[in-house]
Amino acid sequence: MGTIKKLDDYTPQERKVLDPLYDVIDPELFVNIVDLGLIYNIEVDSEQNILITMTFTTPFCPMGESIIDGVENVLHIEFPDREVHIDLTFDPPWSPERLTNEGKKMLEMS
Amino acid sequence: MINYNTGKVPSSAIILPFYATGTGAFLVLCLLLVWSPQSLLMHYFNPHLLGIVHTAALGWGTMIIFGASYQLLPVISEHNLRSNDLAILSYYLLMAGVVLLVWALWSFRTGWIMVTGGSMIVLASLLYLINVVLTGRPSPQSNIQKYFIISSAVWLVFTTVVGLLLAINLGHPFFSRDHMTILKLHAHLGLAGWFLQLITGVSSKLVPMFLLSHAKKTKWLNGAFILQNAGLILFLADVYFIGYSSRVLIWLVVAGIGVLCWLVDLANHYRKRIKKKIDLQMKQTFASMLALIMGIGTIPFVHLLSASGQGSTFTMIYGTFVFMGWITGIILGQTFKTLPFIVWNDHYKKLTGKVKVPLPRDLYRAGWLRYQLGLFIVALLLLITGIATRQLLIIRIATWCWLGLALMYAFNVGQILFHKTKTTE
Repeated sequence: MGTIKKLDDYTPQERKVLDPLYDVIDPELFVNIVDLGLIYNIEVDSEQNILITMTFTTPFCPMGESIIDGVENVLHIEFPDREVHIDLTFDPPWSPERLTNEGKKMLEMS
Repeated sequence: MINYNTGKVPSSAIILPFYATGTGAFLVLCLLLVWSPQSLLMHYFNPHLLGIVHTAALGWGTMIIFGASYQLLPVISEHNLRSNDLAILSYYLLMAGVVLLVWALWSFRTGWIMVTGGSMIVLASLLYLINVVLTGRPSPQSNIQKYFIISSAVWLVFTTVVGLLLAINLGHPFFSRDHMTILKLHAHLGLAGWFLQLITGVSSKLVPMFLLSHAKKTKWLNGAFILQNAGLILFLADVYFIGYSSRVLIWLVVAGIGVLCWLVDLANHYRKRIKKKIDLQMKQTFASMLALIMGIGTIPFVHLLSASGQGSTFTMIYGTFVFMGWITGIILGQTFKTLPFIVWNDHYKKLTGKVKVPLPRDLYRAGWLRYQLGLFIVALLLLITGIATRQLLIIRIATWCWLGLALMYAFNVGQILFHKTKTTE
């Protein structure tokens, strides 16, 4: 089972990577992937390479490829000189508890 | 570097012809209804009605379902579609087969055209079954939705083979059983085997996905699978080997409880959904479920009044609820939950995050879905009323409403299919 980092636990350096990911929207739910809780972890290594560990709401999500492309695109615009690694995991699988309060509001849960 | 396997969505070039042709068939279906409304007041075994029913079941329902299934099989099986070539071949066979069969039924030409059309449809259903089984087999995950999809594909092959035998029997009688009895078996194979089980399986995957439901239990779906199949098998065996009798009502109750189990499962997802706002596509889908319940509710009347002229009227009401209410309703709703995303992926997958792109719902006139739902309800109720009261004028008005609905739907589908990429920096 992979590590899941809470939003408050990101370092300022990781936070800079997280911020552009708010622009990647799930086209079915109209909620960004951070508030949807799809981002499990962000790591920036000593060579400034970026490792994103993330998931989808369901395996083989029909919109999965476009979400991955969105993550790559926003990070390449923000950090053109850095390498981006994306590790997709379903361990643990996504669950509604992963939604942030903002995400819940967007889905009219609150 | 990317370490992931999201699964490859089948190319839209494979999926879109099914949607385009299915939409065309819906227009043809409504034109045929406008052309021959009086056929709805005759006995159900009349050439025009046979043509209309097969346009609805194969050209419209099965065509769209094949396309949607090829798109969704990877999601349900968690494995890439096994063969794109088989999918494409099944499209050409189904399309050509439907044209030949419907024309032959409408003009009642019992001969090689009808048999050739039927044979092509059998081949299309076989290719579909092979693709379904091969796509589902390598998946380590065993899920009830997959069993529904496989069983429905098996029932489809069974349905089309019996249909082909019926077509041959019309020109060269060889059945030891009454043709009309086999026709009843053919109809229920298609409805309770193919459509019901396919829709049960797919909806039990898609509805939780669209509503973001966190209900996990599958006991209701397991019950639905066993009871729907048990009811159908017992019905077929009883009618074929012993004969049509009041016992069919027992098998109806068994299969009906199977339907109820599925609806309970959907209701659980509805209650435990995270996405509170229900969009119009899902409202249309839930309205279609009501039509299914109403349709099942008419079956006892079909049987109990079969000796009188009323039995035929109730058969028409049953068929109308099932084909125009349930199957058409669910397609009208779910088209706009699937097709815009397929086309959107084609145009914007590589652009998302780089430039401002429209959302899938911006690819068509989403505001029209409200009118589509309203017109669907009006058209269905008018048609049922016309058949129940045997008023040709009401049926005529209803068929024009259906044509209006088909034009509205076709326009919106056309908007999606012919969408041009639009971006702003």
